[in-house]
Amino acid sequence: MNLKRWLLIAPFLLTVFLLQSYFWVPTYEKQATGNPKRLVTYIEGSIADAKILNPILNADTASSGIVSHVFEGMLDLDENLDLRGRLATDWTIMERAYLAVNPYNRFPDGAEVTGSRVADRITTALSRGQLPALEKIVRSVRVLPPERRTETVPVQVKGKDGKPTTVEVPVTLEVPERVAFSLTQVDQDFFTRLTPIIGDRYLKHFPYEQHVHMPDDAGSEIEAQIRSRFPELLPVAEHNPEILFHLRKGVRFHDGHEFDAGDVKFTYEAIMNPKNLSPRTSDFEPIKRVEILDSHTLRVVYKRLYSPAINAWTMGILPEHLLNEETMQREMETRGLSQAARESFGMRDSQFNRNPIGSGRFVFVEWDSDEFIHLTRFEEYWEGPPEYHDYYMRPLPDSLTQEVEFHAGAVDYYATLPHQVARYKADPKYQAFSSLGFGYTYIGYNNRLPLFADPGVRRALGMAINTEEFITYLLYGEGERVTGPYPKNTEWYDHSVEPLPYDPEGARRLLEELGWKLNADGWLEKDGKIFEFNLITNLGNSVRKNIMTIAQNAWKKIGVKCNPAIFEWAVFLKDFVNTAEFDAVVLGWSMGIDPDLYQIWHSSQAGPQQLNFVGYDNPRADDLIVRIRREYNRDRQRDLAHQLHQLIHEDQPYTFLYAPLGTRVLDKKIVLVNRLEDGSERYEKIFPIKSGDISFYFQRWRKLDFTPEF
Amino acid sequence: MTHSNEVNQVAEELPLGETPWQETLRIFKKDRLAVVGSIVLVFLVLTAVFGKALTEWVVVFDPEVIRLPDKFKPPLSFPSEDIVPPEDLPSVGIYLLGTDELGRDVFARMLQGSFVSLAVGFIAVGISVFIGILLGGLSGFYGNVKLGIITVDTLIMRFTDVMLCFPTFFLILTVVALLGQSILNIMVVIGLTSWMGTARFVRAEFLALRKQDFVVAATSLGLPERRIIFRHMVPNAIAPVLVSATIGVATAILTESALSFLGFGVQPPDATWGNILADGKGFIFDAPWLFFIPGIAILVVVLAFNLVGEGLREAMNPKLRRR
Amino acid sequence: MQAFIIRNILQRLLLLFIVSILAHSIIHLAPGEPSEVDPSNPRMKPEDIARIRAAFHLDDPLYLQYAYWMRDLFTGELKSFKDSQPVLPKIWRKFLNSLPLFICATLLIWTFAFPAGIHAAVRRGAVYDRSSTFVAYMLISIPGFFLSYLMILWVVDTFGVPVIGMRTFGMENAQPLFQTMDRVWHLVIPSLMSAALGVAVLSRYVRSQMLEVISQDYVRTARGKGLEEDTVIYRHALRNALLPFVTMFGFLLPGLIGGSVIFEQIFAWPGLGRLGYHAILERDFPVILTLNFIAAVLTLAGTLLSDILYAVVDPRVRTRLEGEE
Repeated sequence: MNLKRWLLIAPFLLTVFLLQSYFWVPTYEKQATGNPKRLVTYIEGSIADAKILNPILNADTASSGIVSHVFEGMLDLDENLDLRGRLATDWTIMERAYLAVNPYNRFPDGAEVTGSRVADRITTALSRGQLPALEKIVRSVRVLPPERRTETVPVQVKGKDGKPTTVEVPVTLEVPERVAFSLTQVDQDFFTRLTPIIGDRYLKHFPYEQHVHMPDDAGSEIEAQIRSRFPELLPVAEHNPEILFHLRKGVRFHDGHEFDAGDVKFTYEAIMNPKNLSPRTSDFEPIKRVEILDSHTLRVVYKRLYSPAINAWTMGILPEHLLNEETMQREMETRGLSQAARESFGMRDSQFNRNPIGSGRFVFVEWDSDEFIHLTRFEEYWEGPPEYHDYYMRPLPDSLTQEVEFHAGAVDYYATLPHQVARYKADPKYQAFSSLGFGYTYIGYNNRLPLFADPGVRRALGMAINTEEFITYLLYGEGERVTGPYPKNTEWYDHSVEPLPYDPEGARRLLEELGWKLNADGWLEKDGKIFEFNLITNLGNSVRKNIMTIAQNAWKKIGVKCNPAIFEWAVFLKDFVNTAEFDAVVLGWSMGIDPDLYQIWHSSQAGPQQLNFVGYDNPRADDLIVRIRREYNRDRQRDLAHQLHQLIHEDQPYTFLYAPLGTRVLDKKIVLVNRLEDGSERYEKIFPIKSGDISFYFQRWRKLDFTPEF
Repeated sequence: MTHSNEVNQVAEELPLGETPWQETLRIFKKDRLAVVGSIVLVFLVLTAVFGKALTEWVVVFDPEVIRLPDKFKPPLSFPSEDIVPPEDLPSVGIYLLGTDELGRDVFARMLQGSFVSLAVGFIAVGISVFIGILLGGLSGFYGNVKLGIITVDTLIMRFTDVMLCFPTFFLILTVVALLGQSILNIMVVIGLTSWMGTARFVRAEFLALRKQDFVVAATSLGLPERRIIFRHMVPNAIAPVLVSATIGVATAILTESALSFLGFGVQPPDATWGNILADGKGFIFDAPWLFFIPGIAILVVVLAFNLVGEGLREAMNPKLRRR
Repeated sequence: MQAFIIRNILQRLLLLFIVSILAHSIIHLAPGEPSEVDPSNPRMKPEDIARIRAAFHLDDPLYLQYAYWMRDLFTGELKSFKDSQPVLPKIWRKFLNSLPLFICATLLIWTFAFPAGIHAAVRRGAVYDRSSTFVAYMLISIPGFFLSYLMILWVVDTFGVPVIGMRTFGMENAQPLFQTMDRVWHLVIPSLMSAALGVAVLSRYVRSQMLEVISQDYVRTARGKGLEEDTVIYRHALRNALLPFVTMFGFLLPGLIGGSVIFEQIFAWPGLGRLGYHAILERDFPVILTLNFIAAVLTLAGTLLSDILYAVVDPRVRTRLEGEE
């Protein structure tokens, strides 16, 4: 019977066809040994695909990984976490300070204040050695003539529909004579050091009303807002730090175009262009202007004291010629966009973000979404091309398949979990690295709630948790205790601060002193209310989930009732964290290398959608935080940071738990290659630098066809 | 001609004078797989009830005790009495199914999970059956009533079509992801997205029944509608609903485990077999029992539901048995 | 017939409109924000977030947002929140990736389910029938990801060949034939996994259809005439049993989108399901909405197709329709 036969033959043929394909596929074994190209190819497995390959637009880990290979910044961090020149060969930080002449003031001796008199008296004092701290740093003193200019100030008002809208108000400024100082280094106390000469009232009283003119029809609400910003519009004493960059000559983008100062300026302007929706605007917002002095010299002038601002220049530099107005116009033409689309067309819409061209070590080749991103080495890289010829990133969304592919050698690296590292460490085939990174995990209490208002309560809750045990068993030792807000491997961290002891008995005693007594059901009770709160965290982080379970268990033992709940990240932020509608959270921070903690700990940053969501509020801490970000001297900065660390540790707004160790597992065949003068090669075992990063020397990595012994 | 004889023999054996339910039961009993399945189900329900009792009311097996030093103990191993504080030791003195990453007793967790998993299945199916019968019944019985320009039937059936337009799993995923994955949400969402089949065949059944002699007779006798619907029509339409509900529970348990796999399943502190399995998958090389125990448990239970559903279907299918 | 088709199309367009409004409101009313406006970047200031929200029209009233979505969708200028790339080409590329997997799985389902189901029906109650019932229910009952993991571990351990992704890495310079076969191999396991459930369900369905038809009078008559059993089954019975399956072709299409999230996730297959899943996680509204919209279009087109097919193959329906005209 025909049909019957076909019904049986069809599945048979299909099966045979599908299964025979097995014989064409190279086994893992063959891929590894039979293919010499594999040794110079690095394949990295990643949970997520990259989103957007543009240094000024990306915000996710996968993208920034690729971007850091394709683009290069002006600076980066060296082995010791100090800044190092890349596209810039060197840089100098100086300051220009301006002191407005305040004619309604008098000198301490009663003389009237004029520009030339201020300048003269200060110059004289300097030459007589009356201002010892300033002697070496003041390079010149000049008087600037008065000027009149108009600025538009954005002000938030309630619109007709009741929603807050922004209006631009033109404000006329009558700038008086000013004395300009050129300083060889930045000094946040420069003006207070001048008080012996100008008098201590000078800086505090200035008749803004007579120098700032608002439009007549502004209305009282707008006027009040502008008035509150007078000191900012017309500062009496203004610090303008400056950085002078000398750029590296002869560096080329991957398309052969030469890099120069124009590209740097363009990158800055692209970030600040509102159309581009860059998430980095706040890093570059302190910049007043960028001046091109010649094709390879550049001066960046800042509006105010903000020492971490220089770190922003580690960001990759864009090629101007591929993204300027003209090219964008051309792209819009080619794509035949409608009028509406043209109006909102910014850099985010450009195809450049999927075919990036930079000046970094690797040249972008191809991106198949969710499949791979392929880079190949840049032969003309100014520091010489990397050892690896090709670089792939493969998005593998499932953690188990990642592990399978790694085992089989189809992936050279993936983000290993602690329990996996414990297994690999025992395997002679692999080399494993654990080192401190910049992150830490904590339990944050909503400091605004009466329940957590007392630091003693927060301390007691922290003492009830056995962090050591947690690190030993759940992290397999891949974590270190932390006591404060700074990364442990930076100099800002104060190692003399002792962690909270694990002492549930002591915790209970402490709570009892604060009035919490055990009731009949075994819960702590005070004024008829039992000690109960919700502990939340975000979905998808199994370690945090475990911390939550463990904390709940530990607190139960001292009579504190905690209800854990997990929410998806978007919900977690919108409904709980941003609105401060939570009791306690388990979360982690990944810090930068600068000691600026303004956004996370300053009391002004506790509003909705801000990062001090626990509502920490300590005036002493606020003062320290502001001083740290204005300090340009590293030693002084370190002292202040240590004070801040101790203060926060005393207050325990968080229970600081641990800093996870970054774990990396690699095949032992991957080594550092040192090329010697005579052309031979010497191999070295890969090692982590101070920041914990092992890929600092990635450019010298290569896989050998044998396992070396070190 | 040999195979077809068997079919005929079955038909010839039919004794006369038994009620349809007795007949169903008799045929059902012949299906050995279905009988085994129903035994498993009875056992499962008992486990779930005892599990609830023993893990929450009289705590014999405490699923929440954490004993970090005793993590990843294989099944049938003994606790390390020297490290674990005495109050935390398991009350039966042995880890029947081993321990998990936090040293919690997997047996206790599975017991606790059995109740939650079943509850998710039953409540979701309850919701879906309720909506299905309601809408299907309305559409089948009052289908001709006009509401403005369209009939009730058109309205309901078009709405059913709208619901069928969404790819179900994707829809569940979207809703659960966007509305938050509380256990209640998951049950309701699974229920709200799976009633369309029930509604369709309840409607068909009602349409057919309405033309049957006994309903026509009852209507012409002037019996109240309520009585006709609940006394005559619902019992007759219930058989296929029962079958699809049984299979629906199985599907709901599977859906929950699939959601758990993607991280959108029932969240702690509620343990379900789905989330134990999803958590266990990361430790397949370190503690394989965390992966295999819940996986096999789900397999067996879902299989039992399906086999019982299939047995019921066969036993209740009038076309197949009266031949 | 024409009137029938036109009426059906109009009805479905109306449905589509309602579905799109429903989907749009559910997604926009739900809590959570697109990840681009998350302040998870500590340096992101409220002003920046406000700017991005405005660019995404997130603060406009719902009906306006709906109008923008529809306008952009039909002018082809709809952009993803995630990377500002046009949504339609993005979906199209993923569709092309999902397609081979879908076709392969569908082929497996249909070629295996029929012989298995028919055979079981013919031998109702025999050992083959029972064991195939059991196996089918095993396949229905096993969680898909559980089975996939077991399969991956087994294949990788035993055969040492890659099974993850669409192709083996480092084969760019191999012969085209090798490359093709490599791609075929990467199809095998995922499509087997996603076909397992389908084979089980469909073969059960084939079996019950066949049983129903076999018990019909004309089959008995054919038997009575003394025709060969195979002729009776495959010529007379199967033809009639096939009828409802024609309509099922229509329902296959939407499976392209929703059916494969888990398998694409496990096998790192860059397809539509994964695109949708990540879009949900990142609250990439334009992508979620458009995918849903396309799914609805496919479903409606599928039902339309099956209605028409049914009308074409079933003479009873056809005469009724023609009578209506």
